Formats: sequence, structure tokens, C-alpha cells
Amino acid sequence: MNDVDQSLNDTVLEIEDFSVDYGWGEGAVRAVNNVTLSVRRSRVLGIAGESGSGKSTLVYAVTRLLRSPGVIAGGRARLTFDDPGSHDTKRRTVDLTSATSGELRSIRWSQVSIVLQSALNALNPVLRIGHEFDEVLKVHRPSMSKTERRERAAELLGLVGLNEDRLARFPHELSGGQRQRIMIALALALDPQLVIMDEPTTALDVVTQREIVNELAQLRVRFGFSMIFITHDLSLLVELADDIAVMYAGNVVEWAPAGDLYHAPRHPYTLGLLNSSPPLTGERRELVGIAGAPPDLSQPISGCSFRARCPYAFDRCATEVPVLGVVDDSGRKVACWLHETPATVPMPLRIVAPGRDETVPALDQEVVS
Amino acid sequence: MRMLARRLSLYVVTAWVAITVNFLLPRMMPGNPVQQLIGKLTGSITPQQVHAIELAFGIGLNQGLWAQYTGYLHQLFVGNLGVSITLSSPVSTVLKSAVPWTVGLIGVSTILSFLLGTLSGALLGWFRGSRLDSLIPVATFFQAVPYFFLGTVMLLVFGSSLHWFPVLGAYSQSVTPGWHWDFVFSLFRYGELPVITIVLSSVAGWMLGMRNMMITMIAEDFVLMAVAKGLPRRKVIMHAARNAVLPSVANLSLAIGLVVSGALLVELVFNYPGVGNLLLQAVLNEDYPLIQGIFLVITMTVLAANLLADIFYFVLDPRTRTEAAV
Repeated sequence: MNDVDQSLNDTVLEIEDFSVDYGWGEGAVRAVNNVTLSVRRSRVLGIAGESGSGKSTLVYAVTRLLRSPGVIAGGRARLTFDDPGSHDTKRRTVDLTSATSGELRSIRWSQVSIVLQSALNALNPVLRIGHEFDEVLKVHRPSMSKTERRERAAELLGLVGLNEDRLARFPHELSGGQRQRIMIALALALDPQLVIMDEPTTALDVVTQREIVNELAQLRVRFGFSMIFITHDLSLLVELADDIAVMYAGNVVEWAPAGDLYHAPRHPYTLGLLNSSPPLTGERRELVGIAGAPPDLSQPISGCSFRARCPYAFDRCATEVPVLGVVDDSGRKVACWLHETPATVPMPLRIVAPGRDETVPALDQEVVS
Repeated sequence: MRMLARRLSLYVVTAWVAITVNFLLPRMMPGNPVQQLIGKLTGSITPQQVHAIELAFGIGLNQGLWAQYTGYLHQLFVGNLGVSITLSSPVSTVLKSAVPWTVGLIGVSTILSFLLGTLSGALLGWFRGSRLDSLIPVATFFQAVPYFFLGTVMLLVFGSSLHWFPVLGAYSQSVTPGWHWDFVFSLFRYGELPVITIVLSSVAGWMLGMRNMMITMIAEDFVLMAVAKGLPRRKVIMHAARNAVLPSVANLSLAIGLVVSGALLVELVFNYPGVGNLLLQAVLNEDYPLIQGIFLVITMTVLAANLLADIFYFVLDPRTRTEAAV
């Protein structure tokens, strides 16, 4: 544990140069490549990307939940939280990558909780719902009495709009939406600083999905926890997230405030993702998928990993790997060579987000025509 | 509850079929087995024995098959299993003296083997790939060695040569059977070697079954969640083991059903006075009433154990309880 200067630190989680491999030595596949991200206090970081982009791998590795053969190949992840042990609520920072199993155990769930995609699989099939709550409270709050634990469980279910009689049920007796609500209630049981949502609504129908996202937004305002929300659905994310990171083939290819990213994408991949899901509001438009498939990560990739699927790819993309860099005054970042020279930015990638000054240079007729 | 009742009625029907087959089989024997038997029991035959044989085969009774059948059912119902031809005493009495030995010996070994195997299997599954894995080939070796061979070697080495354990029989000839300390102690001493042999030769099955289920369970999300919840390792293992043990429990109930039939070879090798030994004698002497009685008892215990397995599963796995509603 290393105590560092906390005066200006308002981030809960800082991920620095983080890399994750599957396998060792020669056969190792790089699933997450030098990712740097941070989650601000009481804010929501959305991570978007298609299957295999490394978004889940990243958070599982950061929380040290990644299973073999996944290994952290480099980087650091620091969690900052109010130390419940000290009297003057001093903030404490723990490097998760070097924490001992004992330290991890005390941090898990009390500071960082997680909600998985399938609540049916995440709940032990032979245990009653009440047991799941009771167990977590018993382990992390040994001073609580049995009745207190029971009351807390009922209170938590109330937060997600469920009756406390659900505590006596088994997971298979509940609907998918109820199960996911129970997982959310369980995740909030110990007032954690950070809640990780790994595609929590993907397995649900659109109506339930909407209800749960709304509830999550309200709960977050009420309790002020930070959240990492992982999904492939950008339009869902834009409502909930403050910042969004888009991942492709293990790299963060774009990072921006949610509204900016949604209304004015800068990376061709983000644009593709947006075009492949229906817009929340406004007129209908034709949905277009992204042609091709993500690259095979076990093969070496030269240049930009999105190059093969990118409609705007040019010579430089084949030889040089683009680096994540700031593109305008808002501080948003993108990893794309198109933005290196303002003149080469294609029309769809130079839209100005509402409320932002026009920071991308004006349209150059000669280049576009 | 409705599902249990349905299961129960299924078992009643099965039991009836088993009893009926048991009744019919000797009657379908070709030739005249009665004459053959009487010929074998030269000189010493009593009228009672002749009657027992006639009853068993339904020959020379001047009764229709249906009347015989209802008579048979009635006798069964009051607990009369007929008279043993060779031992000249009621089959039920003979069984009563043999069953407790077998149930004691095989029952204790089965449960011990289950507990040991399941516990070690759970740990082997959790710590897979560690040095503990070397236990597996050792256990499988003992399972692969023929039962009676292992028993004989154990007898020779630890009984006859090293004199670590007493051999032959279920208790020392110098103590009188009864519920007193000397006899119980003698029972334990004489039981040790057979129990060790049975456990050694059967533990690998439980161990591998549990280990494989554990490995399957570890990949489940709820085990990942148990880790994410910051539970101590012991509790995380319990989350996985609680689910992994379900198939083993079902197997245990089935194994208990086979307890009464006994480990014939083990009883033979250790000269244990159980059902296995009795069955062998009955078959060698063509003592049909006794064979019938033994079969009946075995069938009934297997059925009872199956029912027990159902109830167990019902209690352990909540998912089976709603099956009936689907």
C-alpha cells in the first residue's frame, strides 16, 4: 500500500499503460495494449467496443479477477478510496496490480463491486437470494447482527424496486430483469466507491434495459458511486456515461466526453459503431454495419489495427501505429492518422459537437472535392 | 410435493414388477427342478423341506397360478419369505443374521470412501495442476487392481505377515457377541482391513468425479462473483463445491442401494458373514427360496435408495423442485 499525495486527486481508478496478455512467451496474445484511462469520482466511464475488443479483459485484469491464462503484461492500476479504517476519512491509494490477496479481499465488494452480463449465472443456483446478501454483509461487516443484515438486504431490494419477499427465492424462480436488479442491489450492498457493470443489460429486452439504465442513473446520483459501464451499445452509453472510451483490438482508439463522442465522432471506428445502432432521438436513418471482422490478435499487426475495415485508410495507416493524442481544445483524444493533418479529415469526422466551438479547421474545398 | 408423490407411485409399480418377476422366474425353470433338488438332498430331507421346494417352484400344489400368486403376495406381506432348503430355517431369519454384517461393513466403507473421495476431489479440483495431482494416479491404480487381488495381498501382507490386523471373520472367536465393549472393539479391529481395502479400491471414482465437476464449476460466473465479493478462499471453494457435489450425492444414493448386495469378493476374501457370502452359498446349493429372498431384499433396497436419492436431490438442488411445473 502506498500513500500518495491526495490533495488534487479526484480520480477513483487510474489505469496507466495497462497491457494484458493471454498466454505466456511465444504464444502470448496481446488482448489489451497500453491502455491509459481514469475514472473520476462520482462519474461514469463508459467503455464501448465490439466483442473481443478487450473491454471486459481490461476491467477483469484491473480488478485482478482475470482467470488464467490471462496475465497482466504491464502497467499499473491505482484505486483511491476513503479508508473506512481511519477516523479522519483519509483517502488511501492502493496499487491493485501489486496488492496482496488479503488486501484485494478487503477491497473487493467494499470498494469495487461488479455486475455481470448474465445474472442467472452470477447467482449461485442452489442458494436463496437472501443468502447472497447475508454472506457479503457477514464477511465485510462482521459487527452486523443477523437482523441488521436482513434489514439491510430488504432495504437494498427496495432501492431497485423489488419486494423483500424475493430474498426467500432461488435465482431460477425470478425473471431476468429481477435477477439483474438483484445483482445491482447486491453490488451496492457495501456502498462501494466503484461499481463495474459488464454489459449488465445485454441479456435483457429493450424495455427492461431502459428501466434498469434509468434506475442506475438515479442510484448513482443518490449514492455518488463511480461507475465503469461496459457495452457495445453506444446509444445506451451516451445517456449514462460522462466519458466514453472506445476500444478496438485491445487499444483505446477514442476517448471523449460522452456527448461529444456521440454527436461528433472523430475515429472512423466510432463512426461505424454509431452508424450500426439506431439513434435515440431525431430522424430515422439507415443502419450500416462495419464491414469485415476484427483482426486476429495472435497475428502481428502492422500499422493501424482498424485499417482493413476503414473506409478512409491511406498509406501511412499500413506502416505506422497511430497513437492516442489530443485532437482539439476539449481535450478529447483519438488514435487516428487522419487527424494528424487537419486537411485530411473526412467530412463525417469533422462535425462539431453541440455547444463546442468549431475547433476543427474549416472545410478545405480543394481536398474534399 | 406432487412430483414426489408421482415418483413414489412409480417406485410402487417398479416394486410390484420386481416381486412378480421374482415369483415367476422359478416357475419358468425348464424340466423338473424339484426332483433334481430332492435328489441332491439325499437322505436328510424332511417333509418341511419338500413343501418349501414345492412352494418355491409351484409344482405339485394342485393350485392355479393365480392362487399361487395371491398366496405368494400374502406371505410376502406378512414377512414370510419361505424356508431355506439347505439351512432348514426361514429365509427371513437367515437374512436377518446376514444383512447387518454387510450393511455395517459395506455401508461404512461406502460412506467413508464417499467422504474421503469427495473432499479430496474438491481440493484437487480447486488446486488443479498443483503437486496434489499426483494423488490421482495412485488412487486410480488401486481402483484398477482387481478387488479380490488387492484384498488377498492386503490380507497376506498386513494380516498374515505383519500381524497389524486380525484376519478371518467379523469378530474374535474369543468374545461372545453382544453390546459390550469387548465385542464392539473386536468388531472394529476385524473390520479395519476390509474397510481399508474397499475404500482404497473405490475412492478414485468419487475423487475423479468430484474433481471434474469442481473444474467445471470453477469456470462458472457465480464462482468468479464469489471471488469478486472478497469472500475468503474457504467460502469461495464452498460455493463451487456445493454445486459440484450434486452428481456425487446422486451416485452415493445409488451406491448405498448396492450395499446390501454386498461386495461378494471382499466378503469371500475376508470370510465376512454377510449377504455376499450367503448368496454364493445359496447359488452353489441351488437353494432357490433363499436366492429369491436375497434378490427381493436387494431389489427393495435399490429401490429405496433410489427414492432416497430423489428426495436428497430435491432437498439439495432447488431447481429440481419446480421441474413438475414446467
